[in-house]
Amino acid sequence: MATPEVYVLGGYQTDFARNWTKENKHFSALMREGVRGALEHCQVAPEEVESAHVGNFAAELYCMQGHLGAFFTEVDPAFSGLPTGRHEAACASGSIALLAASAEIEAGRYDLQCVVGIEQMKTVSASQGGAYLGTAAWYDQEAEGVEFPFPKLFGRLGDEYDKRYGLKDEYLAEISRLNYDNAKLNPNAQTRTWYMNKEHALCRTDDNPAVGGRIRIADCSQVTDGVAVVFLASREYAEKWAKGMGQKIEDIPRIKGWGHNTARLRFEDKVEESREAEYVLPHVRSTITNAWKRAGMSDVNDVDGIETHDCFTTSEYMAIDHFGITAPGDSWKAVEAGWLEIDGQHPINPSGGLIGAGHPVGATGVRQLLDGYLQVTGQAGAYQVEGAKNFQTLNIGGSGTTSCSFVIGR
Amino acid sequence: MAGTPRLAELRKWLAGRKIEHVVVLGANGTMGYGSAALFTQAVPKVTFLARSREKAEEGLAAAVKQVRSPTVASRSGVGSYDDDLESAIADADIVFEALTEDLEIKREMFDRVEKARRDDSIVATVTSGLSINQLCDGRSESFRRHFMGLHFFNPPNVIVGTELIAGDDTDPALVDFVEAFSRLRLGREIVRTFDTPAFAGNRVGFKVLNEAAQLAEQLGPVLVDRLVGPYTGRAMTPLATIDLVGWDIHRAIVDNIHQSVSDEAHATLKLPDYMDSLMNQGVMGNKSGGGFFKKEGKARHVLNPATGAYQPEEDIKVPDLPYIEEVAHLHSMGRYREGMRVFLEASGEEAALARKVIAGYISYAFHRVGEATESITEIDMIMGSGFNWAPPSVLVDTLGTAEAVQMIERAGLPVPAALVSAAQAGEPKRFFAEPQVNIGKYFVAGERTRV
Repeated sequence: MATPEVYVLGGYQTDFARNWTKENKHFSALMREGVRGALEHCQVAPEEVESAHVGNFAAELYCMQGHLGAFFTEVDPAFSGLPTGRHEAACASGSIALLAASAEIEAGRYDLQCVVGIEQMKTVSASQGGAYLGTAAWYDQEAEGVEFPFPKLFGRLGDEYDKRYGLKDEYLAEISRLNYDNAKLNPNAQTRTWYMNKEHALCRTDDNPAVGGRIRIADCSQVTDGVAVVFLASREYAEKWAKGMGQKIEDIPRIKGWGHNTARLRFEDKVEESREAEYVLPHVRSTITNAWKRAGMSDVNDVDGIETHDCFTTSEYMAIDHFGITAPGDSWKAVEAGWLEIDGQHPINPSGGLIGAGHPVGATGVRQLLDGYLQVTGQAGAYQVEGAKNFQTLNIGGSGTTSCSFVIGR
Repeated sequence: MAGTPRLAELRKWLAGRKIEHVVVLGANGTMGYGSAALFTQAVPKVTFLARSREKAEEGLAAAVKQVRSPTVASRSGVGSYDDDLESAIADADIVFEALTEDLEIKREMFDRVEKARRDDSIVATVTSGLSINQLCDGRSESFRRHFMGLHFFNPPNVIVGTELIAGDDTDPALVDFVEAFSRLRLGREIVRTFDTPAFAGNRVGFKVLNEAAQLAEQLGPVLVDRLVGPYTGRAMTPLATIDLVGWDIHRAIVDNIHQSVSDEAHATLKLPDYMDSLMNQGVMGNKSGGGFFKKEGKARHVLNPATGAYQPEEDIKVPDLPYIEEVAHLHSMGRYREGMRVFLEASGEEAALARKVIAGYISYAFHRVGEATESITEIDMIMGSGFNWAPPSVLVDTLGTAEAVQMIERAGLPVPAALVSAAQAGEPKRFFAEPQVNIGKYFVAGERTRV
């Protein structure tokens, strides 16, 4: 029997430039705005929702709040009693929630699922937040006592490329420049108003301070508050819904394929494992190729664009060759040739990605799928990749530890 | 309005013209250096011009301080009107005028610009409300075709809302180009308005600010800022905003509107006399060390508009207004509709006054459609992205159309026809036309309280 299809009805994200602490808002407001926004945008009545999955990394630390599945029921009286739960896999938490929800649809348990990716991070100082993020690594071996452990871990990813193939910082600066430029087109992007150009990204003074080895501020995604929500549905529900919306089922995007791998936790163990391998992070590569396989696709030419996990410029640099846009080690060629631009041959992060659009950790995987949805339905506005039919995401937790990828298309 | 143009369209508009050099006139002023700094993000060469080279250097230093990027300095040059104006302008792709808000001073400068400029260079003014047509009146056809208003809000590195105003003779293709350039290269939110006094944002915004200043005479600044506080849909309270903007700027804007137009809210645009006399004594807001509010060490002191004296905030008694805390609490949980319902139903004359100000804002904004802008969307976008206030349509949608109509009627203000017909139709209508914009961000909870 063929696996039942999982349809994406759309969703909603908050403006990632917002600081919810400055607005004096509680975590529950973030949940509420995200879910109500999605209900409204998708024209779904609250009574129709059968189950909810919440992706979140560390609300216990940032907000002194756990049990986030239960917060879903606070959004609408009709939600009281629904089966809900929370999923955690560091920065890939949102994708894990998507995987769980889609598996339940495939299993025939439910017909309409709400998936919420959520994180409120501006509640604490940058260094305190940096320490919390360190729990996505092996904390006492890689992060304890280290200021900003993650930039340093991803700096080492750059160093590994440098060692194996050579890496010039100007390509990392160009990746930063492109994400910031794309963010200017995205009305919900965190950095859409920020000052950036390639020269600035390349600058090696206090205007662009180093935070971890070769990683400078311009190479980093920023501390972000935000929520992204999507509705996933069975074919039966999607057909009914499409009819009500005056659309055909063929016009409703679905999750065509997915990949999911978890590598060893410590960065040095991952690198050690890949010493003789073709790719620096082989499990990331297989996540991508597994998604193609399940989608009946053969390579990156079968997708019209990518929303990838550029928590740092080095992670996007890694993604370029892992997606097979270039041969391993040749990612710089795609950067130099302009292939990653919105109107290039392999657009990456038209939304601005994590560096431009923002990275509310638990929300990112859901935000990426939502952006894929907007692209393949022609609703991405100024950052639309013209004519996009299929989009792929890559969401990574830890230092390349948990990786998830979805292909969404019509 | 069609909303934000698509990338393909913006790219098409952008094609065929390059901006390699921008010359900023009046680059020592706040808007001058702020705008110049903004241009350095995307333009390889920006020239700061001022009355003297020293003044221009001061502008550049302020720009460097405002935007912490090495490219502010590395892409910038400085010069004086006497020594450098003609040669700089002859090389400029955009001449950006940011002189003091005085028609004659600007027109005199345009005399020199006209003689020195290339036939294809764009001339833009950052005026916050002088007439674009008057500013280029009598100039050559080439000048008028290349002239427009590009109104950044202060500070431009923070506030992205920007008004773009064409004159009668401005080449429409150039207006498209400047929109595309501003959106794609400078990250601006562009709103097109007609050439009317104070354009759209300041016309609507300063009407509300001035009404708050008028109320302060009776109620005192603390109560006014509490009544028209964050819970009504704004990040910064009105009188604190006037202090930040500067009383002189406030006067220039409201006087311009009051003298140039006689609309249905004319009385609310008259500058209060106490502000006029205090300005004669040097009170200008934050830049003079104090306005409605002033810092004394760690304490905040408050102006008594009647006497001009200040007293510590904690000595000022204001009525207990529990409804505001209730609204703020609901906002803090994202329950904005419920919050605004509490506001609508709150009893007491203070709540009624607050509703009158908000009703006046909605009524005044909707009445500007067709006059200052083509539709309410432009006004919504500039109030949201220029003032960080809940756009009028967001308030109507959150209150409910019928409830908004009733609130305006009870305040004794003219009800906009669009609201009346929507309320009569009885079907739910959404006025705010930008689905990508979160309305929740405008309802700031103020101090979060636990109930």
